[in-house]
Amino acid sequence: MIEYDEQDKRMVLKLVYYGPALSGKTTNLLRLHDLLAKEGRGDLMVLDTKDDRTIFFDLLPFFLTAPSGLKIKLKVYTVPGQVKHDATRKAVLQRADGVAFIADSQLSEVANNASSFENLERNLSFVGIGIDVIPLVIQYNKRDLAGIVPEDDVMRVWGKTGLPVLMASALQGWGVVETFRKLVELTYDHIDRKYGLNSNHGLDRETFLVKLTQASEGEE
Amino acid sequence: MTRDQSIEFVVGRERRLQEVIGASDVEPLLKAAVRAGAAEAVIRNGEGDVLWSERNPAADASITGSKTLYLEGEPVGTLQIKGPGGKEEYLKGIGGLLGETLNAVITSSLKRMLTTEIHTAVVNQSFEELLEINRQLAASEERYRELAESLEIKVQERTEELKRAMAQLLEQEKLASVGRLAAGIAHEINNPLGFVSSNLGTLGKYVARFVATLTTVRQMAESGAMGGEPARRLADTWREQKLDMVLADIDDLMRQSIAGADRVAKIVADLKAFSHVDETGIGEVDLNVEIDKTLNVLASQMPSRSEVVRRYGTLPKFACNPAQLCQVFLNIIQNAIQATGEGLRLEIATSAEEWAIRIEFSDNGPGIPDDIRGHVFEPFFTTRDVGMGTGMGLAVVYDAVRSYGGSVEAVCPPSGGTVFTIKLPLAGR
Repeated sequence: MIEYDEQDKRMVLKLVYYGPALSGKTTNLLRLHDLLAKEGRGDLMVLDTKDDRTIFFDLLPFFLTAPSGLKIKLKVYTVPGQVKHDATRKAVLQRADGVAFIADSQLSEVANNASSFENLERNLSFVGIGIDVIPLVIQYNKRDLAGIVPEDDVMRVWGKTGLPVLMASALQGWGVVETFRKLVELTYDHIDRKYGLNSNHGLDRETFLVKLTQASEGEE
Repeated sequence: MTRDQSIEFVVGRERRLQEVIGASDVEPLLKAAVRAGAAEAVIRNGEGDVLWSERNPAADASITGSKTLYLEGEPVGTLQIKGPGGKEEYLKGIGGLLGETLNAVITSSLKRMLTTEIHTAVVNQSFEELLEINRQLAASEERYRELAESLEIKVQERTEELKRAMAQLLEQEKLASVGRLAAGIAHEINNPLGFVSSNLGTLGKYVARFVATLTTVRQMAESGAMGGEPARRLADTWREQKLDMVLADIDDLMRQSIAGADRVAKIVADLKAFSHVDETGIGEVDLNVEIDKTLNVLASQMPSRSEVVRRYGTLPKFACNPAQLCQVFLNIIQNAIQATGEGLRLEIATSAEEWAIRIEFSDNGPGIPDDIRGHVFEPFFTTRDVGMGTGMGLAVVYDAVRSYGGSVEAVCPPSGGTVFTIKLPLAGR
């Protein structure tokens, strides 16, 4: 958690989209920005890029206010996937409240997914977060492409971890909101246990979810 | 910069409007608005406090318009424009332009700050990681240096050990070859000694015949059977050649020569027995007999007025390399002889215990000083002058006894002298 000020009634949460280079983390945020209602969210801020590759991070902020008056801000970040930006990944990962791991479904990327996940484990422990504690969802992106790992294989590998695994094509826009919703659900449970969002602030899970993930122009 | 001093940036930290933009960003824009015809331009934060304002006191300020300022998409303040009535459209234009510009300045300023902050965080972190890597490298270099140093010491120790073992082997080999040489010489002496002894016997018989003949001739002369002149000449010659003395001495000479030859034969036999040159390897022997053989060989080295007291118990046969154990006894007895000198009283006691044979050599020498008693069995330890002792005698004893699983110790009782006690375990008991 970035900030929690009880007197000021402010809570700032951080979600991080992690994953190997070019797996579609920024595309996920772009699609969220397009698909979700403008009300309750800010604009996507893309920091400096080089050849369209993220070198710092992207940021998409969301806002909502609990019945108690607690103002909650949810900041969704991407990390740069390239191996050389590890220090930036560590900086962005600090005090994260939830992580979406965006894997690349292509068969050629299996090894990169694995080493990026190892990197996530290592960096979480570096910033003092237990990987078995933090809300974590896995997204297999680029399901629209040919030459991808079959869904059965993905499930066989990840099933035993108990982590939620979602299929998506960020380019075509499906699976993106579902991934975000799953992560927001888990994050709500995690924060609610500690800060009593429901009991102390009258903010139930459903309201939290709907406010953060309502589709634009009355869709869904 | 240490960790404590470094500024910690958390990506995503919340900021207030006045942290993102400053007077230098805002005031020129507000001034421009006033110059363009606005009576007043004011920026307030979320709580309504005035942050910056610009006004033209002369202008009419009867109408008011406002615009929201956003930071990360969140409303954080307002821009308020006042102006003369009837110029709504114009003021709206100025206000709109000013609002958009301010929001653009806020966004680009925020981006610059985020970029700078994460860049600083990354640089700090990389620097600390480099420091940490440097520390680890230095520590690991230190470890390797220590390892290398201790390795050198270990190598030196092992080299020293090897040198000693090598020297010990050489010394043992030398002792063994001296033994073999002595045994070889003894063997070679045996042949000439055989005919010397045999010829001495024959010579004795021949001499007896000469003596008998001479005695007869003399008796003839004395009885006058030879006549005056020949008898007188015989008497003269007899006197000149001192034949009375010769005849009196010759028996002793022959007896002493034969006794001497017998003694040489005995020494050779003892030497052969001691060196076990005719035997090979392991045999079952009576150690009392072996000690006696050793004493025989050393008989000539015994100092004057020395006394050897044998208190032998009945011993079971002991399976060993007898030559090796004779060497052990020889070295201990020689040690007693050299340490004590004249008036040596050496007591040798043997006994069979339940599991072992016990042999004690007690001398009446000066004893071994306490501070060196722990070293006497070490190779090359010697108290004698350079060239007099090898320092190997008792080391050989130690190694030989140990090779039978036995033990040897040196004790100096308060009554004086030194007692060497050897214990040799009996196999299979």
